[in-house]
Amino acid sequence: MEDDDQQKAADLVQELVLRLVSQNPQTPNLDPNSPAFLKTLRYAFRILSSRLTPSVLPDATAIAESLKRRLATQGKSSDALAFADLYTKFASKTGPGSVNNKWALVYLLKIVSDDRKSAINGLDSSVLLPNLGIGDTGNGVLSRGEAKKKDWSNGVLLVSKDPENLRDIAFREYAILVKEENEVTEEVLVRDVLYASQGIDGKYVKFNSEIDGYAVQESVKVPRATRIMVRMLSELGWLFRKVKTFITESMDRFPAEDVGTVGQAFCAALQDELSDYYKLLAVLEAQAMNPIPLVSESASSNNYLSLRRLSVWFAEPMVKMRLMAVLVDKCKVLRGGAMAGAIHLHAQHGDPLVHDFMMSLLRCVCSPLFEMVRSWVLEGELEDTFGEFFVVGQPVKVDLLWREGYKLHPAMLPSFISPSLAQRILRTGKSINFLRVCCDDHGWADAASEAAAASGTTTRRGGLGYGETDALEHLVTEAAKRIDKHLLDVLYKRYKFKEHCLAIKRYLLLGQGDFVQYLMDIVGPKLSEPANNISSFELAGFLEAAIRASNAQYDDRDMLDRLRVKMMPHGSGDRGWDVFSLEYEARVPLDTVFTESVLSKYLRVFNFLWKLKRVEHALIGIWKTMKPNCITSNSFVKLQSSVKLQLLSALRRCQVLWNEMNHFVTNFQYYIMFEVLEVSWSNFSKEMEAAKDLDDLLAAHEKYLNAIVGKSLLGEQSQTIRESLFVLFELILRFRSHADRLYEGIHELQIRSKESGREKNKSQEPGSWISEGRKGLTQRAGEFLQSMSQDMDSIAKEYTSSLDGFLSLLPLQQSVDLKFLFFRLDFTEFYSRLHSKG
Amino acid sequence: MESMTPISCPTTPRWNQDRPFLTGRFHQETRASSKFADSKRFTLDSSSSGVEQAIGCYDTPVQELIVIDDLLSALVGIEGRYISIKRFHGKEDSIAFQVDPSMDLALQELAKRIFPLCEYYLLIDQFVESSSQFKNGLVNHAFAAALRALLLDYQAMVAQLEHQFRLGRLSIQGLWFYCQPMMGSMRALAAVIQQASTKQFVGSGVLNLLQSQAKAMAGDNSVRSLLEKMTECASNAYLSILERWVYEGIIDDPYGEFFIAENRSLKKESLSQDSTAKYWSQRYSLKDTIPGFLANIAATILTTGKYLNVMRECGHNVQVPISERSKLTIFGSNHHYLECIKAAHEFASIELVNLIKDKYDLVGRLRSIKHYLLLDQGDFLVHFMDIAREELNKKVHEISVEKLQSLLDLALRTTAAAADPRHEDLTCCVDRASLLTTLGMHKDTDSNSIEDPMSITGLETFSLSYKVQWPLSIVISKKALSKYQLIFRFLFHCKHVERQLCGAWQIHQGIRSMNSKGTAILRSSLLCRSMLKFISSLLHYLTFEVLEPNWHVMHDRLQSTRSVDEVIQHHDFFLDKCLRGCLLLLPDVLKKMEKLKSVCLQYAAATQWLISSSIDINSQSHPQKTMIRDTTVTESIFNFEREFNSELQSLGPVLSKGSQAEPYLTHLSQWILGVSKE
Repeated sequence: MEDDDQQKAADLVQELVLRLVSQNPQTPNLDPNSPAFLKTLRYAFRILSSRLTPSVLPDATAIAESLKRRLATQGKSSDALAFADLYTKFASKTGPGSVNNKWALVYLLKIVSDDRKSAINGLDSSVLLPNLGIGDTGNGVLSRGEAKKKDWSNGVLLVSKDPENLRDIAFREYAILVKEENEVTEEVLVRDVLYASQGIDGKYVKFNSEIDGYAVQESVKVPRATRIMVRMLSELGWLFRKVKTFITESMDRFPAEDVGTVGQAFCAALQDELSDYYKLLAVLEAQAMNPIPLVSESASSNNYLSLRRLSVWFAEPMVKMRLMAVLVDKCKVLRGGAMAGAIHLHAQHGDPLVHDFMMSLLRCVCSPLFEMVRSWVLEGELEDTFGEFFVVGQPVKVDLLWREGYKLHPAMLPSFISPSLAQRILRTGKSINFLRVCCDDHGWADAASEAAAASGTTTRRGGLGYGETDALEHLVTEAAKRIDKHLLDVLYKRYKFKEHCLAIKRYLLLGQGDFVQYLMDIVGPKLSEPANNISSFELAGFLEAAIRASNAQYDDRDMLDRLRVKMMPHGSGDRGWDVFSLEYEARVPLDTVFTESVLSKYLRVFNFLWKLKRVEHALIGIWKTMKPNCITSNSFVKLQSSVKLQLLSALRRCQVLWNEMNHFVTNFQYYIMFEVLEVSWSNFSKEMEAAKDLDDLLAAHEKYLNAIVGKSLLGEQSQTIRESLFVLFELILRFRSHADRLYEGIHELQIRSKESGREKNKSQEPGSWISEGRKGLTQRAGEFLQSMSQDMDSIAKEYTSSLDGFLSLLPLQQSVDLKFLFFRLDFTEFYSRLHSKG
Repeated sequence: MESMTPISCPTTPRWNQDRPFLTGRFHQETRASSKFADSKRFTLDSSSSGVEQAIGCYDTPVQELIVIDDLLSALVGIEGRYISIKRFHGKEDSIAFQVDPSMDLALQELAKRIFPLCEYYLLIDQFVESSSQFKNGLVNHAFAAALRALLLDYQAMVAQLEHQFRLGRLSIQGLWFYCQPMMGSMRALAAVIQQASTKQFVGSGVLNLLQSQAKAMAGDNSVRSLLEKMTECASNAYLSILERWVYEGIIDDPYGEFFIAENRSLKKESLSQDSTAKYWSQRYSLKDTIPGFLANIAATILTTGKYLNVMRECGHNVQVPISERSKLTIFGSNHHYLECIKAAHEFASIELVNLIKDKYDLVGRLRSIKHYLLLDQGDFLVHFMDIAREELNKKVHEISVEKLQSLLDLALRTTAAAADPRHEDLTCCVDRASLLTTLGMHKDTDSNSIEDPMSITGLETFSLSYKVQWPLSIVISKKALSKYQLIFRFLFHCKHVERQLCGAWQIHQGIRSMNSKGTAILRSSLLCRSMLKFISSLLHYLTFEVLEPNWHVMHDRLQSTRSVDEVIQHHDFFLDKCLRGCLLLLPDVLKKMEKLKSVCLQYAAATQWLISSSIDINSQSHPQKTMIRDTTVTESIFNFEREFNSELQSLGPVLSKGSQAEPYLTHLSQWILGVSKE
């Protein structure tokens, strides 16, 4: 039975082909057994046996509806109605005698209709050349002669029809070829690529971990070009997965510290970009629903999506997604300002698309940072929950708030904020905190408001953004200017910083001459005692007495109250002179300037000046001791000439040595008090006036104090010459004690000489006693004077040697002022000449 | 040309360059030697083997359709069924497209005509990929962006062709027709790209290449307009850098592409120490790579930014006012650039000159220097020479500069100079060599006279110096100050000679009442007068004929000058002219002058002894002794007189010869030699 059916089918096909070929006027009487006919018959069999299935659903009703709709749209409403009626009758027939495969028949009619339409269109094309035909083979001269004759008689029809048929056949064959080599249609692949571009595995395009990307599965049969194109387009999906993974992982840790607000802003910006991306994919998805035309199926369908069109659509998203993926890799381990800085580096690109994209991204990413800057600069608030800001605060005591309370965190400083701008930002916020915490001041809020108004922003949030570094700089400049000025005003006016500096200069640096003189007069005798015997309370009383006895009493009581006596730690061998000191109490906020180390420096300077004053005081004492004795020299006329000469020599030696020492001390003190202290104070005053902020003030004060320490030979590099200087001081003090003893002895001699005169009257009776008394006096006087002269010579020699050593060290000092001191001390070149002779 | 890569150049992850299908380098993927790649190649080959039969087994019309589809893939660099890409590995990796040999011959030829376009696409695509990397600079980035936009249009065209193909309206001949407009453009761009890649062009190199190619292809209108469009896009990035420099004086050049180089190691403080004033000329300098359209105004651009930068260094933040019209990035003709840059240059120039003149009082400073170093108000010098005589008479190595400084301060405070607030900037310095030796070193000539260092005293080597702060140190640099010092040393020594001669003259006046008839005192007095005449004439010439007129000329010019370079030029011209007028650049004349001054000094030093001897001679009563001594004194005076007069006479020809080239020497000759001629 089956064989019979097949034979019947074959016969039917043969008959059909024969009829079709017979219609061709070129071969009206073609023999069924000719090779040409057999070739055509084989072609028909191949078509019928093809496994190619149409890309439509096997639904007769759907096809009918499609046909009906097309007729309606083409303006053939009556035909559409007729078709509908006929189709209803056709579909309702069932049972024997009816068509079994209804949808196939309807589809066949549709295809034939399309083919005919294409043929009609083809007639309009005049570019087609006449095809010489199919039936040229095997018929010999006779057949060719017949063909020529018929061509001549039917030229127009022949020329217009054959090329169209050939092209139509070629296209159909090509379509079959495409369907054969494509296991999957392009629409399906396009949809899969759209899935892949969202990181989703499609039906045939899946993620392949071996190649680390999306690709058509190897088992699926597609052309090479299609496979390559799918892989290229799916790279977008690979990039998307990277970005999406970063966002998801970060969002899972959003309140966590290792993400931070900048990281959150980055994720939000990326999410916004992905939203735009999703919108594009939605549009493309809608287009992908339209069928892709293949070989004239639907001429009106222009809104489809092919792989090539998709590549055009994907060009710009590819660039952006690639940038985001690069940034995601870069910022994986970064946070805060460092993250912003890294992103900023990537914004330096000449491509306008890249540049604009990065600017938009950075505007979001830097928003938290700029908000922190604004909050810090205008309110002094560190709103840095996750440690992302480049200003870091740390807990410190109040007096160290300025110096160590806040620091820059270099790792968190974005590269688009310059170090100088960062320093200014740091100082501005520090100023606000200093005013609030240390100065108990609230006027800085007005200054901040003025700064915001001047720079055109507002103290509210969201006023600054990335790309407006000039605006940021302007805001910081205005804020710094106003707040720093306010800070200095508070320090100068409310806390009297300048006045306190002046008080320190007067009392600790011994600038108030009458006070110092009186203080030294009343505490001098007490300080000569061992330190253990001295009471601080007693010294405090002396200090108070000195204040009341001098012009210091008219000074501000607040400043006088800060002046205290301080006994430095001492042992049993120390004397009061060595441990006595004055100190000045610095309270908040002045202790920011007058720190413990600063006050200890002042202490060092005070001790030095106190030593110098003591030496000067001693020399003045010597002078007062020496002066009255000149007038009474006549009382020694009764002594022998030799003793008198000895006496005069000793007195003269004492005077000369005093003169030398006084010359040195006077010039040295002048140098210290005027060249060092007054000049440094003058410079410091100028710099205080010129200071713009507290750092300037601190720097000026430090420079002032260091200048004093350096030029006063109190620095580390001046240790050698300082020791030499102290030796000189010690020698002068020894000289004073010797001079006191000398004049004490002379006074005693004077008294004894007078007594000797009186005893002369008594001894007139015994003559030898008188002579013995005078001799004894002379002898003892001689011995005393000789001893004193030797001591003086010894001190003078030591003094000359030490002074020479001191002077030889002066020119080696780095400070030019000390060279001037040398010039002043040796103005007449006396010591230089002495040195040359030596 | 070298491309500088700053450290701040951001790097990208390795995958950004390694993924073949992301970078478009999947053609070269199969050539890799790794096992994985071999496996991948097998995959691709198996894909290729999916084609069941050779194209030759199809009818020609079907072949055409297949070829069109393959060409549509090849046009975007993708291999098709019967069109593949072959790679040649040689000096340059190149790519060629191949067709299946069994293809119809006519179709093969038609397809091969389109292959160059496919190759152009690949070349441009690869260039875009590599140029977009950060280290290649902003100009290459912008150029790549413009190219990518072009490639996008190209791909859209291919998609349109695909649509036509799907409608059955595209033949291979039609495909060839549609590709014609793109063919020329892509060919031109490929040529540009090949040169840019081969020579590693960045920055202005790219711009110049684009411009030269646009001119070379001027005959092809569409290609020229395309290249001009490319130039516009690429130069926008460059013009942003230029705009920042010309309007703000800031180089915002992260990849070192700009044609102005900044030497950060040169600080403005170096102007006070460096004798060659490197800061002004070398802190900012032109590189070799300048865009062609800016080459004519490169110097103007350089100075504009320099001026703005100087003002910025002074803490004077100024910015050229920018209107919408003066935006450089608004593309226009070269004329637009020239107008904007010249306007910015004029603004910056005038602003800086005003800053230097008004705020920093340049003219006041110059007047102050004139007082001290050119002895305009020399009263302090008289006082200083009195109190410092002993110190200045010492040998050079014995002089204490600190002592001299102290004495100078004392002199300044007790004379009219105390009213000048700038006198505190005046300092002392003592050189180690004489003026002639110093000038010899300056002129790099061999010094024939070997001087004994021991014979040099402070009077020959003393000089004043002046502390000049930024930005006036641009004009009054270390080099300029050294010229002032040369003039000062010459004047100072002349003053010294004059004072010595005045002392001698006073001695002569003291003994005028004595009966000196018949002795040599009369001749000595005449000689002294002649010497005084000489030195006074010389000083008068130096101060009133040279320094004062030249200074006033400079002063008048500075009033109307409009740029700092002009200020520097006028000041340097003034100094050079003074140096020449003061004979310091004429060694022959200067040696004569030094010789004459030396004779004067010897005579003045000997006057005391001569006069004393003469008096003794008169008071002696022994004729024989008197006659012998008188002869000795007379001979000494005659020797001095003869030496002085002979030197003076020999000066005449030297001055006459020199006056041919230097007309001002005529004045000097008249002043000094006028009496002699009489």
